[in-house]
Amino acid sequence: MHSRSAISVKPSRWLPGWLQAAFVPTWAWVAYGLMVVPCILVIPMSFAGEDQLVFPPRQFSLDLYRKFFGSVVWMEALKQSVVVASGTAVLATCIGVSAAYGFVRGRFFGRSVIGFLLFSPMLVPAVVLALGVYLYFARLGLTSTTLGIVFAHTVLTLPFVVVTSSSGMRQIDVNVELAATMMGASRFVILTRVVLPQVWPSVLASALLAFLISFDEAVLTWFIAGAGTATLPVVMFSSLKSEVSPIIAAAATLLMTTTMLLSLIIALLTKRASDE
Amino acid sequence: MNRTTARAATITQAPINPTASEAAPDPAGPVFEIDDVSKRYSSVTALDRVSLSVRPGEFVTLLGPSGSGKTTLLKIIAGATRPTSGRLLLGGRDITHEPPGTRGIGMVFQNFALMPHMSVFENIAFPLHIRKVPKDEIRKRVTEALELIQLPAVMDRKPRELSGGQQQRVAIARCLVYRPPIILMDEPLGALDKKLREQMQYEIKRLHDDLGLTIIFVTHDQEEALTMSDRICLMDGGRICEMGAPADIYSAPKTAFAADFFGAINVFPGRRSAGQDGDDIIRNDDLGAIRIAGSLAPFKDSAGLHWMVRPERIRLLEERQTEDNAFDAIVVDRILFGGLTRLIVRVGSATLTLAQLTGSSAFVGKGDRIRIGWPADATVPLTSD
Repeated sequence: MHSRSAISVKPSRWLPGWLQAAFVPTWAWVAYGLMVVPCILVIPMSFAGEDQLVFPPRQFSLDLYRKFFGSVVWMEALKQSVVVASGTAVLATCIGVSAAYGFVRGRFFGRSVIGFLLFSPMLVPAVVLALGVYLYFARLGLTSTTLGIVFAHTVLTLPFVVVTSSSGMRQIDVNVELAATMMGASRFVILTRVVLPQVWPSVLASALLAFLISFDEAVLTWFIAGAGTATLPVVMFSSLKSEVSPIIAAAATLLMTTTMLLSLIIALLTKRASDE
Repeated sequence: MNRTTARAATITQAPINPTASEAAPDPAGPVFEIDDVSKRYSSVTALDRVSLSVRPGEFVTLLGPSGSGKTTLLKIIAGATRPTSGRLLLGGRDITHEPPGTRGIGMVFQNFALMPHMSVFENIAFPLHIRKVPKDEIRKRVTEALELIQLPAVMDRKPRELSGGQQQRVAIARCLVYRPPIILMDEPLGALDKKLREQMQYEIKRLHDDLGLTIIFVTHDQEEALTMSDRICLMDGGRICEMGAPADIYSAPKTAFAADFFGAINVFPGRRSAGQDGDDIIRNDDLGAIRIAGSLAPFKDSAGLHWMVRPERIRLLEERQTEDNAFDAIVVDRILFGGLTRLIVRVGSATLTLAQLTGSSAFVGKGDRIRIGWPADATVPLTSD
């Protein structure tokens, strides 16, 4: 705190105080609005129930949703998305939480190198990563398979899982684990009965984050998914290219709702984790 | 043998009867031995050939400033750090290379280290669960432990709902419940305020005496060490520089460091010299000749020779009274420390401090000329290493 306050510089006043105070938030809200409004527009369009995408809607109808849930193609895509996202969440959480524990507690040779490698998917452009994964999976025969997509998404989501769950682990007291060790608890008992019960909010948040990122990931999946394994965003993208079916508005609304709901839960969990 | 005895002792048993334990075949043998232990990091020696043996039922305090090696030694005993060389023997068993979990040693931490997600009951039951003790027995032993620490009504609370002192009691109960042969305490009262600290000192001492616990206690607080210990190991620079009973180490320290650590006052340099009657005396540039009891034979030369006189051994001399060491002095200051009052006086260019019971003598104020003195046996010669 002190070091931070020592280097903080008081901003120069180039506008009256109240105006300057209002400037940044206003500008932020304008920029935010410009990005969000097009997304919001999709919601009324999804309730228009017509053969084309129209705005403003002339009537209220759930037709597009009926068509969405009645269509084999969309249902398959939704099911595939849920399967892939769940698989990714489980796999990424298992690997990521263990890795986070290792990074937070361990002092081992090559720690920083492994850390860098773990975070590299965040640094590499998505298309480059997608191409690399595609070429590699083609050799292994993993393209167009659900397992392949889950693996690829796991790599992509791992950094987020590690960051989210290690922030929770950093807050717990090492001495509690030493105390448990001295009382004779095994590593497994310490992880399951001492560490995880203390960090479950951040572990759950990281699992949901993995689910979320996987659920609306399009680029990587576009490269490796085949006809039978396409996820919801991939099917949306291709339907947009071939025929602009208004069902896409319903799909987009559902995707958005899910995403926002999960983000809200994650935010609440993370808050809870940092409060404790 | 010692180990079986320690294991067999239940936490509810009556105080260990000293005569009974003297009759046992090997009662005075150490329960725990640190044998020539060193710890070196690449260029720093954190612990330099430390040896210590702890008797059953003994309260040993590792005392020293930060960086003296006391925490390193504690970590090595706990098993959190491996020594570079040397051995650890627990009841005759070599535990140097054993992981912390199989050593069976108990530990109480400064920050309590209770499991925050478990209730008090679950916390205390945890070591018993790991030892697969039957449920009924666990309930019985946890209840007993809570009675011992005089907190029977908090079983279902979470640690954060308790005060600091209560949490530390629970942490102690969590140790008592599995009957470890020795209990380590790492500055356990450091996080508590002064009043509570004194109360907990008494509490820990009571448990130690009643249950015959063997405790290794770490602190940097000399008063705490003096109050609680059977034996103090004063540590400095990775070594045990002095070891002894609190009264001995306080009134007759051997080194200037020890004298300084238990109150940094009235320690002066000196030279070895001989008095008119042939007895050894110490010569000080400011005070002249200082009489001592006994000889300076153990101090081969004057190099590093210091001497000390504790403030409570110096008294105010009335007219016609005399003392082995007597000086005229001027009162510089007067400071009240509750039951004791300190007088800061000047003799020539030397400053001495003397302690009196508050209100015990005629009022002496700043600037008064007085006469002070102390007997020869109150002068303690010290080495500086």
